[in-house]
Amino acid sequence: MELKKRVVIFLIFLLATELAIGGAAVFSGDRDGMKMEMKKLIPLKIGSYQSDGKDEFYDRKTTFRYMDGAAELYRSYEFKLLMIRHYAKADHPPIVVEAFDMGSSEDAFGIFSYEAEDEEVGVGQGSESGGGLLRFWKGKFFVNVYAEQEDSLTKKDFLELGRAMADSIKQEGRKPKLINYLPKERLIERSIRYFHHSHILNHHYFLSHENILRLDIRTNALLASYSFQKEEKNFLMLIQYPSHTLAKAGLQNFVKAYMPESSSSRVIKTENGKWTAAQFYKSYVIIIFDAVSREKAEAFIQATQKNLEDKKS
Amino acid sequence: MKRNRIITRRDFLRGTVYTAFATSMGLSPPVKREAKAEEKVKVILVRDEKVIDPQGHINPEIIQKMLDQGVSSLLGEENPFQAWKKLIRPTDVVGIKSNVWNPLPTPKELETAIEKRVLEMGVPKENISIDDRGVLNNKVFLSSTALINAHPLRTHHWSGIGGCIKNYIMFVSTPWLYHLDACAALASIWNKPVVKGKTRLNILSLIRTQFYGRGSHFFDRRYVSDYKGLLIGKDPVALDAVGAHLLQLQRIGYFGEDRPLDTTPKHIFVADQKYKLGVSDLRQIEVVKLGWMESSLI
Repeated sequence: MELKKRVVIFLIFLLATELAIGGAAVFSGDRDGMKMEMKKLIPLKIGSYQSDGKDEFYDRKTTFRYMDGAAELYRSYEFKLLMIRHYAKADHPPIVVEAFDMGSSEDAFGIFSYEAEDEEVGVGQGSESGGGLLRFWKGKFFVNVYAEQEDSLTKKDFLELGRAMADSIKQEGRKPKLINYLPKERLIERSIRYFHHSHILNHHYFLSHENILRLDIRTNALLASYSFQKEEKNFLMLIQYPSHTLAKAGLQNFVKAYMPESSSSRVIKTENGKWTAAQFYKSYVIIIFDAVSREKAEAFIQATQKNLEDKKS
Repeated sequence: MKRNRIITRRDFLRGTVYTAFATSMGLSPPVKREAKAEEKVKVILVRDEKVIDPQGHINPEIIQKMLDQGVSSLLGEENPFQAWKKLIRPTDVVGIKSNVWNPLPTPKELETAIEKRVLEMGVPKENISIDDRGVLNNKVFLSSTALINAHPLRTHHWSGIGGCIKNYIMFVSTPWLYHLDACAALASIWNKPVVKGKTRLNILSLIRTQFYGRGSHFFDRRYVSDYKGLLIGKDPVALDAVGAHLLQLQRIGYFGEDRPLDTTPKHIFVADQKYKLGVSDLRQIEVVKLGWMESSLI
C-alpha cells in the first residue's frame, strides 16, 4: 500500500478514534477544570519533597511533544490529560511524577496492566516498583514516579512517596467487568492485560500484522495466561464488541485469516502442536491459544461462556 | 497475485514469515548470494572498556579516540584527519542529527567529538548545527549539504528498535504517521529532499544499549547494558541490522531466551528490500572489530 494511502487511512482512523471516545476534543473550559483537578490530586509537599511549581500539562494532541511515539500507547486508551510535576529536596536529585488521567478506572487499570510484570508493592489499587521507577493506578489515574538520577531513591523511599500520592487520590475505581468472566482456576492474575487495539494485543501476543479481529477503541479486550505443569501455558482472549453483529464479523474475519482450515467447530491444531479454539456468544468473542489438547481448548471456551451466561453479561 | 497477504503468528510457527513479508509487500524472496568478501558492506565496531568510568560518566577523550579509530578504519586511512577529509569539505554546511530522548540520548561527548572533527575540516562554526526535534526549523539543517547521523541503539515500541534509520523521522512534520505497520515506511523519509543523498556518516552509539523494553517511554535500567561501543558505517541499514542482532543476543544473554520485542523491526528489512537504502542481510555485512572485545557477542 502506498504511504499516501496509508496516511489517509490513518487520519480517518485517528478522526474516528477521537470521535468515538467523545472526550478527545476537550473544550478549553473542561480542560482547565481537569488541570485544576490534577493539580489538587497530588500534594505539593510530600514529606520533605516540595513541588517546583512548574507543572506541565499535555493532552491527547500535545502529548507527542513529551514522549514522542510512546504517546500512541496512551492514546490507544481513553487518555485525557497528563500532568508532569517535579519535586525537589535539598541535596537530592529531583523526582518526576507523571500523572495520567485515563478517563476511566478501567483504562487506568489497562495501561497499568500493559507493563505489569513485577510483584505487587501495595500502592493504590495496583502497583509495581523496579528499575528505578514506581508505577501505580488508582481510580481513573495512572501514575509513574521516578528519580532523575539513577539509584538516588531506595525502594522504601519510592513506596513512601507513592503511598502519600495514592492516599491523596480519594476515589477508587473498578477493574474491567470482563475480568469477572475469566475462568479462575490456574489463572495467572498478573498476566491479565486489558486493551482496545490490535497493536497492544501484538505487544503481548503477536497475532498478525493486520487487525484481523477488527479491534478498535469501542472493543474491550482481555488477554490472560493460565499455567499448568511443566511450564505449559495457554492464553485466553475475551473480547466485548459493541454488538452481536460486530462480534460475529470479527470472529469470521479472524477465522478466515488465522484458521481458514477449521470446520464449523472452529478448533484447529497449529504448527506448534497446540490447539486454538474460537467461539462467539452474544457480543463476545472467546479465543483460546496454545492449549495442549483439543479437550482443554474446548473446556476453556465452555467455562468462559458459562461465566458469561451465569453472570448475565 | 498474492500481494497484501496477511501475516499471522502461524507464519512464524511455520518459519515462513520472511517469504510472507516479501509477498505481502510485493517483493521477491531473498536470493541466496555467494558471500564474497568484496561484496560485503563494511561496518566498524569499536569498543573501549574505559569509555565509561566507575562513576558512570563517559570519558570524552576516549570516545574521541574511538570515533577516530572507527572513521579511519572505515575509510582506510591511518590518520583520522585524512579520513575526515574524505567525508567533509570546508564549504559544507553540516547538520549533526542527534537524538535527545532524555533517558538515553546520543551522548553529548559523542556530539562534541563529531563537531570537533568537522570544525577541523575548516567548516565555520555557524555552518554546523547539532539538533534533533528542531531540524525542520533549523537553518543549518534546511540548507545543509552534509549530514552526520548519530543515534543510540535501543528497543523502540513502534519500530522494534530505534537506530540510524529511525533517527530521520524528525525530518517529517507528522512523525506519528510513520508508526503504522511497525514503522515499515521509515526509510522513505531518506528520499525526501531535505536529506536525500546528504548523509556522509552513520554512527550507532552502543555506549549504552537498551536491549529490552516494555513499551512505554520509560528507560528501564534493568535492561540497559554498558556495552561501551560505537558502530560506524556508511550504510544505515547495515548498522541497524547489526544493532538489532546485538540487542537480540543481549536479550538472550540476560533472560536466557529471546523475548520478543514489542514489534518486529521489519523497517530494517523493508529499508533494504523496498527502499534500497542499504543492506539488511547479516551475511552481506562485514563487522570489523577494533579494541576491547570482551563479551562483544557479535
